[in-house]
Order: sequence, then C-alpha cells, then structure tokens
Amino acid sequence: MKKIIISSLAAVALLSVQSCKTDFENDVNDAEVTSGSADFTKFVALGNSLTSGFRDGALYVDGQNESFTSMIAKQMQKAGGAQMFNQPMMADNLGGIPGVLPNKYVLTVNAAGAFAPALATGNGTSTLANIYTAQGFQNMGVPLAKSYHLLAPGYGNPANLSAGMANPFFVRMASTPNATVLGDAMAQNPTFFSLWIGNNDVLGYATSGGDGTNPITPLTTFTDAYTALTTTLTSNGAKGIVANIPNVTSIPFFTTVPYNPVPPSAFNTAAAGQPSNQDANIDGLNAQVFGVLKNILTALGHGGRLQLISKTSANPLLIKDESLPNLATQITQALVSNGVPAQQAGLMGVVFGQARHATNKDLTLLSTSSVIGTAPTSLYAVAPFNKYGVTFPLEDKHVLRGEYTASPSSGSEANEVKNTIDATTAFNEVIKAKATEKNLAFFDANTKMAELSSASGISFDNVRYTAKFVTGGTFSLDGVHLTGRGYAITANEFIKAINKKYGSTLPQVNVNSYTGVTFP
Amino acid sequence: MKKILISTALLAGIFTYAGGFRVSLQGVRQLAQAHTSAHAEDASVAFFNPAGISFIPAKLSIAAGGFGAKSTVTYQNPSTLESTETISPTGTPIYAAIAYKVHKDVSLGFSFATPFGSTIEYPADWSGKEIVQKLELKSFYFQPMVSVKLAPWASFGASYIYAKGKVDWTKAVTQLDGTINILDDQASGHGAGLGFYFQPDAKWDLSVAYRSPVNMKAENGKATVTLPNASAATQQILFTTLGLDANGQDNFTATLPLVEEFTLGATYKVTPKWSVSADFNYHGWEKYDKLTLDFENANLGNQANDATILTNPKNFKNAKTFRIGTQYLFNDMIAGRLGWYYDESPYDDKNFIPETPSFDSHVVTAGLGFKVGHGFGVDLAGAMAFPQARTFNNKSISFSGQAKAKAYYFGLGLSYNPF
Repeated sequence: MKKIIISSLAAVALLSVQSCKTDFENDVNDAEVTSGSADFTKFVALGNSLTSGFRDGALYVDGQNESFTSMIAKQMQKAGGAQMFNQPMMADNLGGIPGVLPNKYVLTVNAAGAFAPALATGNGTSTLANIYTAQGFQNMGVPLAKSYHLLAPGYGNPANLSAGMANPFFVRMASTPNATVLGDAMAQNPTFFSLWIGNNDVLGYATSGGDGTNPITPLTTFTDAYTALTTTLTSNGAKGIVANIPNVTSIPFFTTVPYNPVPPSAFNTAAAGQPSNQDANIDGLNAQVFGVLKNILTALGHGGRLQLISKTSANPLLIKDESLPNLATQITQALVSNGVPAQQAGLMGVVFGQARHATNKDLTLLSTSSVIGTAPTSLYAVAPFNKYGVTFPLEDKHVLRGEYTASPSSGSEANEVKNTIDATTAFNEVIKAKATEKNLAFFDANTKMAELSSASGISFDNVRYTAKFVTGGTFSLDGVHLTGRGYAITANEFIKAINKKYGSTLPQVNVNSYTGVTFP
Repeated sequence: MKKILISTALLAGIFTYAGGFRVSLQGVRQLAQAHTSAHAEDASVAFFNPAGISFIPAKLSIAAGGFGAKSTVTYQNPSTLESTETISPTGTPIYAAIAYKVHKDVSLGFSFATPFGSTIEYPADWSGKEIVQKLELKSFYFQPMVSVKLAPWASFGASYIYAKGKVDWTKAVTQLDGTINILDDQASGHGAGLGFYFQPDAKWDLSVAYRSPVNMKAENGKATVTLPNASAATQQILFTTLGLDANGQDNFTATLPLVEEFTLGATYKVTPKWSVSADFNYHGWEKYDKLTLDFENANLGNQANDATILTNPKNFKNAKTFRIGTQYLFNDMIAGRLGWYYDESPYDDKNFIPETPSFDSHVVTAGLGFKVGHGFGVDLAGAMAFPQARTFNNKSISFSGQAKAKAYYFGLGLSYNPF
C-alpha cells in the first residue's frame, strides 16, 4: 500500500511537471527570418526627405543612419537580402552646405529660460560635389522632391540650380548631370523597392501658407508621374511597397502655434518694474481702432471680421484674408466722416481692408511664431499698426487659412486647409489605385498619422508617442519630419505591410532604441 | 484516507496555485515537504500557525534559518526577435522564531520572517525599461503571539503583526533620456494572525490558520528623476515642468497591500516513521487591483482630474496553492523529505507585469533533517521550480511578448529544543 501511494504521488508529480511547458515554443534566438514571396536581394528606396532620413530641418549623418529605409534594409539583411544599402551620406552632423542649405535645428535654452529650436552654429563641411560611385545609392530619397521630380532629367544638374530646376541633394548623388532619380534607381535592377512620394506635392503649398509660391501639383500631373513611377519600377517584375500621404495639417508645423497666441500681457508696454499699462493700452486700442473699425464693418455687414481685444483671455491673431472683399475704400470713407484725418483714414483702410481675426479653423505656421509681435517691413506699419498679427495683419504666407463662414464671398478657393486636405485625398486615391493595380504592398500612412495625432497616440513598450511638438517624441525640431523614433514607428508599419503582402517574416525594430528629440 | 490524498493530488493539476511576490520560504523543514504547515516539531511553526506553538514537544524552542533563492526570467518579443534575461541577485530570505510554555496550557512565541519580497533586475536598456529596470520589494514581519490549549488535543493562537518594508523601483523615462526612482524604505503596516491546531490522535496534525492583509503604507516616499545627459539649465526647465524640486525630487505616498492568506494543513503518520502532509492556501491577491502613487507636487500622474496621481492597473486575482509533502525517518537521527506544490500566477496573461513576473509553477522540493543530540536539529532543503512559459499582451502598459523563468532555492535551518 505504501508503495502504491508513493509511486502514485511520484507519477502525479512527474506528469504535472512534464505537462507544463517551461520553455518557449519558438525561441527567438533560433528564429529564421524569411522573404516569403518577395525577393529582397536588391532593395532600392525612392522618395523624398522622409525616405532620406531628413530631420531637424536638415539631412545629416546621425539622421541618415536612422532613416526608416536603412532600418528596413537591416531587417532584410537578416533574411539574406539588401546586402548593400548605400546612402548618400552628408559629411557631418550639421547638415548644412554653406551658401546652399542651412544647418539643422537644435534645441536650445533661450534668454527667457525656455526651450527653443535654433539653427546649429558652425560651418557645414558638406558640399555640392558629386559623390556617386559605381555601386550607386540604394537610398534614393531626395529631400524636397515632388512626384514628377523623380522623372525629371537634369534634376541633379548643378547648372540648373540657379534656375531652381535642380535639387542640391540630387546634385550630390546623381550618376550623371542629366540622370533622373528613377533612372538611377532602375539602373540597379531592384528586386524590391519602396516608393513614398507625393508629400511635397501638397506640403509645399501648406508650408508656404498657400501664398501661391509653391502651388499644389495638378492632379493630372501627379497621376501621370505616379503611373510612370509604378509602371517603370515593376517593369522587370520587381515587387515593392508604396505609402500614401499623411494629412499634413495634423503635423506639429501647423498645430503647435494656436490661432490665439496673443496674451493680454502682450499689450503691456511699461518699462520693467513699472506698473502694468496693459488695460489702459487695450482700452485705447479698442476705443480708437478695433471698436471704431468693428462699428464700421458691422454697418457694412462684415462685423464678424474683428473683435475687441480681451483683457482676460488670449487674443486671436490678426490676419489678412485675401479671399474677403477689400473694404479699404469704404473703411476710409467711414473713418473720414467720423472725423479721422484723411491720411490716417487712408492708411487704416489699406491695413484693414481685408483683415480679420483668426479662428480655430485657421492654422498658424510654426515658422510664424518668430514673427508675431515684430515690426512688419510694410510702409504702412506705423504705430500703433506696427505689430505683426496683433495690430498689423499677418500675410498669406504666415497662416494656412481655414473655413471662414462669416465671409460672404467664401468659396472653395478661400479655404486653404480644405485645398490641402482635398489634394491629399485625391492623391491618396491615385496611390491606392496604383498599389492595387500593380499588386504592391501598401502602407496607409494617413491613417497611422491620425492615430499618432490622437490624444492617446501610439505606445511602444509603455512609452507613449504623440504628434505634439518636442514632447510627443516623434516629430523633429522642424515640425514636419520625424525623429529616429518616429522613423522607427514608420519602419515597423512598412515591415508589417510587407510581411502581410508577401508572407515574409521581417522582424520589427525596437522604436525606443532610436533617438528622439535631443535636449541640450 | 489514502485514496483521498491521492485524488486530491490529482485535483491539484486542475485547480491549483501563490505567486506574485509572496515567497514561500519561511521554514527549511517545511520547504523540504512542499512548504506544508502542520509540523509542530519546533518553533518554526510559529509563522505558519500561532496555535502550533502549543504542540511543540519542548518547553522552549528556538528555530532559525535562511535561504538562497536564485531566479532568472527570460523575456522575448517575437515581433522584434529581441530577448532579455534578468540579472537579478540571489535573494536571501531569513526567519527566526522562539516559543516558550509559560504554563502547561499557555505558550508565548515570537516570529520574524520575510514573507513578501522580490528583487528583479533587468539590463538597463532592455525592451521593458520604461516599466522596470530594477525593483526591490522587501518586507519584515514581526509577530509576537500567544497560544492557549483549549483541550489536550486542541489549541487556539493569535498574533499581532508589525511589518516594515521597502520599495525601491527604478525605471527609464525614455522621452527625457533619464530614469525615475521610487523609494521608500520606511513603509510599515499592521495585521494579525490567528489559528487553530489539533492533534486528535497520535497520527494526525491539523492546522487551520488565517493571516490578515497588511497594508504597507509608504508615507515618506521619494521620487527622483535623474537626467544624466542633460545640462543644468535643461534639468531645471524639465524639473520645473514636471513639478519637481531643484534636485529632481518630490514626495509621494502609496499603499502596497500584502495580502491575506488562509491555510488548511494536515499531516498524517502512515506509520510511526512515515508521514504525509498536505496544505491548501488561499491568497487574497484580488486586493492588489491597482498601485496608486500620490505625488505631492509632481505632474507624473495619469489621472485626468489630478496630474499628481499615478495609477497603474494590476488586476490581480485571488490565488490558491496546493501542496503535498512527505517525511521518512530513516532512523532516530536522519529524516528524508520530499514535496511537490503547484502555485498559480495571481494574474492572467493580459495583466502580466515584468516588475513582478509570475508564472503558473510546479515546484519539486527535497531535504534532509538531522537530530544531532541535546535537542539540536539541522535541516537542509532544496527546491526547483518549473514555471510555465507564458505569452502575454498587457495593453495597459503596451507590453507584449513571451516570458519564461527558472528558479532554485536552498535552505539551511537550525532548531534547538533544550528542555
């Protein structure tokens, strides 16, 4: 009996111990990385600044080493592919080419004891000299390039730089002066490609405040270019991945400066140590300028354009909205009849003819923050109309105007935000259609960007990333391009889409192991 | 009776279980027999059941011992193919107890033990660094107790628990390229224990015990943010923004529940030389549903209405342990012991936390006991755990992957029953 109990106990213990799996079913150290139905032997990445590793307003060595395409190439190497992934390396970590391209931004502590991005000091050692070698560059990301630029002969010809028909980045890396980006990519016979292009076709319009200097690429031009790119890249049977365009209006360049950044204290002109004259100044401006103008505009049916300045809450920016009817003559006449001297009335008419206060639909450019409150160069900018965005309207280039319903003449052309989003939507439809037609992997960057800019953001191993400037961790100091961690999130999305489409098993990267915003 | 024991053992595979940061290392003699409780041979019974001291076969008994506990946890992420192994130091839980019969029916005792504790350390740059780089949890239970014989075969005992503890938790603040340390080595709490112990005949020992929860209150906690690569100016801006003082510090309070435990234990002497013991433990881990740190000024929290309150969901669940052990007296001097127990992790896969990793675990134990004369005893024990690998995805800390562990324990215990 004793023996039976002991052996039963032993049997139970043994069975229980054996039935419990103490080891991993698949140890990652023994994992095999496979290509699936794709062939990663020759991976070439085409695109713009995002593909190149551009960040902090410049292309520089540390940023290039954390380009999302180089991250993908490293993972492909684990599957035996992408043995060579050459990037057109800049010479240093400043990124500037003296006289051609500015240095990168770095975070500094300003006089007020706050963080502020500033251009790095020093002379960059990179030059426009061509660095092409017979091996070619597998990272064919060219900062600033639009869709059709990848097909443009001479885009890398230094002779075309002065006319603005060439790109300094491509000048450095083109195989010959009249080579095209696409041609240099195809010369390498890629077996796998990534193509992320189109961002600049709409971004340039948005970052110039829709002022006409950098128009949105016409849809037919974009469609033709995108068709040519995808047709050529797949012409020898190569497989690849394309990505669409994130909605640029949710990047920090447009979301960091609010529409109402003017605190009541900005109206205090008393010397340090003296009692504040903020309220007196606001009362004066409201009595002599904004109150008078609002009454006149109200009589003209446009009273919503201007508000009285608040002593208690943040005030909106004063902007010029050239979509509005110009009421300069009517304002001047009304002021004269109110007894305002003709010269002053004329000046106020010119300054306020198309002025309005910004609303929460308008997007202030990040670069505008350094302009607000400064003296405009305009001849009309005489006191008190000498503060940009406060008493003198900001120009078109400073703000991406949004919907403004009170404007009776508002049409589709009036709304620059809508123009931007509509173009993005149209381009993205082309990209999706071509991805489907050419049977390519597809990364929906627009949807991922929406997730990143949501309040909860994207978390990786308990580190939360958002699209907030500096603190969000994903956007670099230019407010447009990503940090190493932002690019790592991007790389993972590309990898997931590639694995899904081709059945490969490329591992993802550890987002937190790359660099974010560097504090001084 | 033998049949019941066997079928209960079979059941153990189905419904099972302690885990968390409860450490089953409070008696060497007991560990060798699966850490079962119904052993009244010396004062080490005091921790297990205050009523047990009435049945120690000596007027005075002293017991003390210590353990070495070595465990390694391996984490791997099948998405990134990264893997990490902990570099935790060897844990050294200790215990000591004394019991004295002041009257034939009244015994007094005192137990010192470290029933809860865990030190886990990962490489500083491992994947889960934002959750934990190193966590040291310690507790010291001081229990004076009294036990009264209600009848020659039954006793009732009660204890007061005074607990001291320490929490020392370091983790990365990746976005700021720094770390945060949460420290309080003056945490304390109170509780009580009570139990009944029966020896209805020469063959049976029965133990019923309850140990109350102890809420360890950290009243003088100090949180310290360290930014090793930042300039002095940067540190001041970030510290001010975070609501920290010029040294990057702030005070916090927190309460860590050391949970209640209910134990039923029995030892049956099959023959005068051979005994079999079994235990059933029920651990009230459900109380540990979240860990809340309340900072004095720092905006390190995650609550919408108060940025100084940080709440981490833990979602532990009540857990059981089933133990079975045996002892055979080879002769008057040497005893051989064996045991096996099954511990269930007190949380589900979706609540896996790397700072206190826990696994469903089989543990095999063994040991020897020596009576060296004049009332002296020496006990040796060893145990090996077979934790079950688990695949987890904890969304509240956006952490997923797989984990496995190895653990070994060694113990040396001394007892002295002089008269």
